[in-house]
Amino acid sequence: MPGILTPSGDSSSIIPYSPEPNTPTLYTLHHDLKPPITPRISISWSRGNSLRVTLFRPLTTSIDDEPGGKVVDLKLSGEDVDTEINDAARWRRIAYGSVSPFAHLQNKKNAMAALSELRHSAPYDGEWSKYVLEYSKEINSLLGSKKTSLPSLIEDPKTVLKNVEEPSSLKAGWELLEIFYANKQSHPWIPEQLVDWLSDYDALFSGQMPSVHLRLVEFQADLINIQAVENEPAYWQAISSALAVGWLDIVVKLLRLHGSYQLNQLGTRETENGLVEAVAVLVSKMPRMRANLPSGKLGECYNNKSDFMRAWEKWRAQITKLDCSAFWLQCSHNQTKESLKNLLQILLGNTGTLSSATCNWVELYMAHFLYIRPFTSGLESMYVLAQKCIQLKPASSLHKLMRLMLGILEENTEVVLAECSRSFGPWMIAHATELLTAGSVEAEILLKEERDNLGGISIEESHRLVYAQVLSSHALTWQIAPIYLISCVKHGVGLLEILLYKQPAYHSQVLLKNIEICRMYDLDNVSSNAMKIAGVHHWKHGRKGAGVFWLQQARDEIRLNRIAQKLFDFVGKSISDESFEQWEGLIELLGSESRTAGGLEFLHKYRDFKRSLQQIRDGVLNDAARKAGDALILLMKNPSTPQRFWLPLLFDSLKLLNWQERPLLNVSQTNLLLNKLQELSVARLRPDFVEVGLPPQALSSVRLALATNLGRAILEE
Amino acid sequence: MVYVCKLRYSSVGLIDGFRLPSALCARRVFRVDFRYWVTPDPRLYSFRCQKIKCNLEVHLLHPKTLTMAIETLKHLTILPQSTYIDALRFLPPLSALDRYIVSASFNSDSDEASISIHSFNTTNSPSLTLQSSFPSSSRVTSLKVAQKSLQNPLIAASTITGSIHILFPNPIDASFQSEVSVPEKTLHLGSVSCLDLQENGSECVSVGEDGRVNLISVGDSALDYRRVFDSKGLVSYTAARWASPTEFATGGLGNALQWWDLRRAGGPVSQFKGNWAQGATSGIVHSIDIHPSRKHTCVAGGSFGSVFAWDLRRPQQPIVLSGIDNGETATCISESDVWEVQYDTFTSASDHTNLSSKGVLPVMICSEDGILAVLKQAEEPAELLAENCAINCFDIDRQNPSDVICSLEWESIGLLTRA
Repeated sequence: MPGILTPSGDSSSIIPYSPEPNTPTLYTLHHDLKPPITPRISISWSRGNSLRVTLFRPLTTSIDDEPGGKVVDLKLSGEDVDTEINDAARWRRIAYGSVSPFAHLQNKKNAMAALSELRHSAPYDGEWSKYVLEYSKEINSLLGSKKTSLPSLIEDPKTVLKNVEEPSSLKAGWELLEIFYANKQSHPWIPEQLVDWLSDYDALFSGQMPSVHLRLVEFQADLINIQAVENEPAYWQAISSALAVGWLDIVVKLLRLHGSYQLNQLGTRETENGLVEAVAVLVSKMPRMRANLPSGKLGECYNNKSDFMRAWEKWRAQITKLDCSAFWLQCSHNQTKESLKNLLQILLGNTGTLSSATCNWVELYMAHFLYIRPFTSGLESMYVLAQKCIQLKPASSLHKLMRLMLGILEENTEVVLAECSRSFGPWMIAHATELLTAGSVEAEILLKEERDNLGGISIEESHRLVYAQVLSSHALTWQIAPIYLISCVKHGVGLLEILLYKQPAYHSQVLLKNIEICRMYDLDNVSSNAMKIAGVHHWKHGRKGAGVFWLQQARDEIRLNRIAQKLFDFVGKSISDESFEQWEGLIELLGSESRTAGGLEFLHKYRDFKRSLQQIRDGVLNDAARKAGDALILLMKNPSTPQRFWLPLLFDSLKLLNWQERPLLNVSQTNLLLNKLQELSVARLRPDFVEVGLPPQALSSVRLALATNLGRAILEE
Repeated sequence: MVYVCKLRYSSVGLIDGFRLPSALCARRVFRVDFRYWVTPDPRLYSFRCQKIKCNLEVHLLHPKTLTMAIETLKHLTILPQSTYIDALRFLPPLSALDRYIVSASFNSDSDEASISIHSFNTTNSPSLTLQSSFPSSSRVTSLKVAQKSLQNPLIAASTITGSIHILFPNPIDASFQSEVSVPEKTLHLGSVSCLDLQENGSECVSVGEDGRVNLISVGDSALDYRRVFDSKGLVSYTAARWASPTEFATGGLGNALQWWDLRRAGGPVSQFKGNWAQGATSGIVHSIDIHPSRKHTCVAGGSFGSVFAWDLRRPQQPIVLSGIDNGETATCISESDVWEVQYDTFTSASDHTNLSSKGVLPVMICSEDGILAVLKQAEEPAELLAENCAINCFDIDRQNPSDVICSLEWESIGLLTRA
C-alpha cells in the first residue's frame, strides 16, 4: 500500500491516522463438544477475515460416540471504511454492478492499445475520453439514483426542500471525480457543475459543520408555526443563504410565501409586493454559463461566453436599476426592504454579504463562482480561489469531500489517491484510477510506474490487488475477483492461481465454478489439480465413482493406477458373486478407452468375460462359450490385468477349459495360458506374493485342465 | 458500422500480444461492437484468428434472428435481493387471485438458509413481497413443488447436509402450515443432489452423490421412506425426474442417464451412455426433464453446454440440441454448465402447427455463462437473456407460461414476460 500507516503524532506519517483505541474484542466459540476440553487448539486463517479454530479432545479419554475434535469457523467483524454503506448486501450489489463497466473499459483499453500499436500513433485519442465518461456514468448510476419521491398532485406550498433519498458520500465523491477527470467536454462549465453538485450533496456536510441545507431544514420545520414569514429573520436568512449557493427555485418559492402575496393584503401592500416580485423575476432570469438546466431549476442558459457576457451585463444593469429605484422609499415594511436590498447585494456579488449568507467555505466558493467570477477556469485559478474562501471561512476540520476537492484542485494525484483510499475504501480507489489516468500523463506515469517499494508493481496494480483481496474474502464475491486480478499484469495470474487453489475443491459447486474460471483464463494446470483434489476426496469418502470420474477428468494416470489396485481388492471379494450389477455403472463410466481409464481398463474386459460366463451358466450356448474364451484370452494377454487375478480367472473358466463338445482354445492360446501359469508358479516363490482365497488344489486343477485342453487341441488340429 | 455477431471459442488466445476476449467477453457467446476491436470487419477478424490458429470463430448472425430473439422478450425486471438464491419455483395457485413464488435463499452474512414464499405482483412494475419464511437447517440443493388434485400445494426441499423437508403452505395467508422432514444422515450420506416430486405430490425420489436412490411417500403428518437402490458410491447421481407414477430417470457423471421402474427392483431398467465423441463423455448431467405427453423422451442438460434428448426407443442415439462436439448439425449456445432444462410450454400460434412434426419439443435452458434461451430442434436458438453472471435456475409458470422467473448468481431474481 502506498503510505505506510504509522501511529498518529509521528512526524513521518504521510496520512494522519488515528487507530481505534485498543480494546480487545471477545468472541464466543460455539462448539458441541462436551467438557472436559483440553487447551489443545489450533488456529489458522480461513476464508476472508474468519479464523479456523480447531479444538482437539484429549487422546486418552476417547469415547467412541464422541468426535475427536471439532473445527469451528470464527468470523471476525471488520469495520467498514465508509460507515454510510454498512449494509453488506448493498456493498456487494455495487461490487457486482461495477464488474461489467470495469471489464468493458479494460477490453476497450486493450483494443485501443493494440490499434495504436498497429497504426504507430499516440495511445490516446479523443474517443478514449468518451469511453471513460461512459464508464463513469455507469458506475455513478450504481451508487444510487437521484430519485425523488413521487410528486404529489397538490403541491404543498410549505414544503421547500424536496424529499430526496439520503445521498451517499461515496456517490458524491465519485461525481466530484467525474466532473474533474471524466467529463472533458464540459470543462468550461465546471463551476456550474460544482454548483449542481453542491445542491445534491450539501446535506452531507450537515453532520459535521453548519450548512445551508441544515439551515433550510430547520427553517422548514418552523415554517408551519409561522404566521407572517416576512417578520421572521430566519425567513430572510434562509432566502439569502439559498440564493448565495444558487438554489434559485427554492429562493423564488420562498419569496412567493411573502405576506404581500395574500389576496387580502394585496391592496395595501402593492408596492412592497411589486418589489418582491421584481426580485423574484430577476432571480429566476439569472444568466447561467451552461448548456442546459434540469427541469425545475431556474435561470437562463448561455452556451458561449460572449452571449453570456452580454446577458450578464444586462442582468446586472437591471439589478442596479432596481437597487436605485424610487419604489424602495414607498415600501413601508422595513424588514422586507432591508432584506430585499440584501438579496440584491448577493446578486451583485458583494463579498461580505456572500460570506455572511453562506455557512462553510465550499458554499462560499460556489457563491463566488455564481456571482463574482463566473469565468473561473483552469485548476490553478480555481485552487487560488478555494484558498481564499478557506481563509474567509476557516473550518476546524475539513470534511472528507472537502479534502478530496482540495486534492483535485491542487492537482496533487497522490493526495487524491490517499483521500479515496482513506475515506472511501478499496472499491473506490480500484475504480477511480481509471478516471485519474484519463488524459493526464503525469497521473498515468505516477499510477503505472513500477515501484520497488511495492514489490515491483505499480500503484494502480497494487490497488486492484487490494480490492481483489477484499472481493476474494467473501464467499459470494470471490468469483468476480479474477476479473480484477487478470487486469494486473505482474502478480495477477499468480494470485488468481492462489485464490483458486484456496477454494474448497471437494464442494462440487465450488469445484465447477473453479473449473469454469480456469477455462476462461487458460489455467488448465490449476483446474486439473483441483479435479485431482476432488477425486481423491471423493474416493476417500467412499464415493468411488465420483473419485474415478474426477481423476479421469484430470487425466491423472498415476492416481488412477493406484486406486485401481485398491479397487481390485474390492473387486476380488465382490465381483464373483451375483452383485456384479453394482459395478455396471462404474464400468459404464470408465468407457472403453484405455487411455482415460488407466489400469481400470481391466474391469471393462472382466465385465465382458463375466457376462459371457453368466450366460453359459444360464444355459449351454456354444456361441457364448466361444466369446467367453476369447474374452479370457484378451484378459490374459492384456498387460493391465493384475497378476493376482490370473489364477482366479483361470479357475473361474475351468468349465471353458473342460468344454465338452470341442476344445475352445487352440494350441497357441493354450500355450499362452500355460506360460502365464508357469510365470505365476515362479512368482509364488517370491516372498511378496499375495495368495488369493482359492482352494489349495486350484492351481493343479487349472494345470490339469489346460493340459487336457492342449491335448485335445493338438488332436483337433 | 456495428456488427452484431457471435464469437465462439474454445480457449482464450493471445492476439497481437494482448488477451482477447477480455474477462467478461470471455464468458459467453456474446455480442460485440466491432468498432472497438482490432479489425473493423469481423470477417477479417475471423480470418486473422484462423491465421494464428487461435480457436476463435466469428459468426455473423443473421440480423433477423437477433431481432426475433429480442422481440420475444416483452418485459424484464431484475430485483436485487440481499441473499443468494439457491432455487426458486412458481407455486401452484393458492387462491384465485394471488400468485406466489417460493425461493430457497442463503444469507452469507449470518450463514442462515431459508425457504420463503413471496407474493408475485405483475403490474407495470413487477415486484416480490415476502409473505413467510421457513428456516432451513442448511443450504437447499433442490426445490420442487407439486399439487395434489384440488388440494393445497406442497413444497419439497433437499439440503446440502442430507435432510429433506416437505412444507405445506397455508392457502389463506401463504404462511407455512406444517412441515414434515427426514433428518440428515438417514437417507443419504452427505448432500442430497436432487429430488423430484410426483405431479400429484404423493411420492418423492431423492438421489445423492453417495449413490443412493430413495423413495419418500408423503403423508400429511409423516414421511415414509425406503431405499430403491444403493450403488455404495460406485455411481453418483446428480439429477432425477419422474416420468410416470412408477418410472423415473436419473442422471449422473459421464453424461449417463438411467431409467428406473419401481416394479422392477435391483437396479436401473435401462442405461444410457451414448456414443459420444471424445470429450463429451466427461460431462455431468445437472438437470433432466420429461414431458408428460412424451414419456419416452427425456431431455438432459449438463457440462460444456450440452443439451441432449434421450429417446428410450433408440437408447444409444442421443439427439443433441446443443453442445460442442456435434460437428455441423446443432448449434452451441453455451460452453459452460447448463444448470437447468425444462420443456418450454409457451408456444406462439405459429409454432402450434408444426409442433407435432418435430422430434423434440422446445426446451428452455439456463447456463453458468448467463444464458437463458429456448432451444428448438434444427433451429437457431432464441436467446432470452444474456447476463454477465450465471443464471442458476429458472421456472416457467405452468398457468401462465409466458412468465419466467430466474435466479441470478449476483443475488438477484429476474422476472421475464414473453410476448
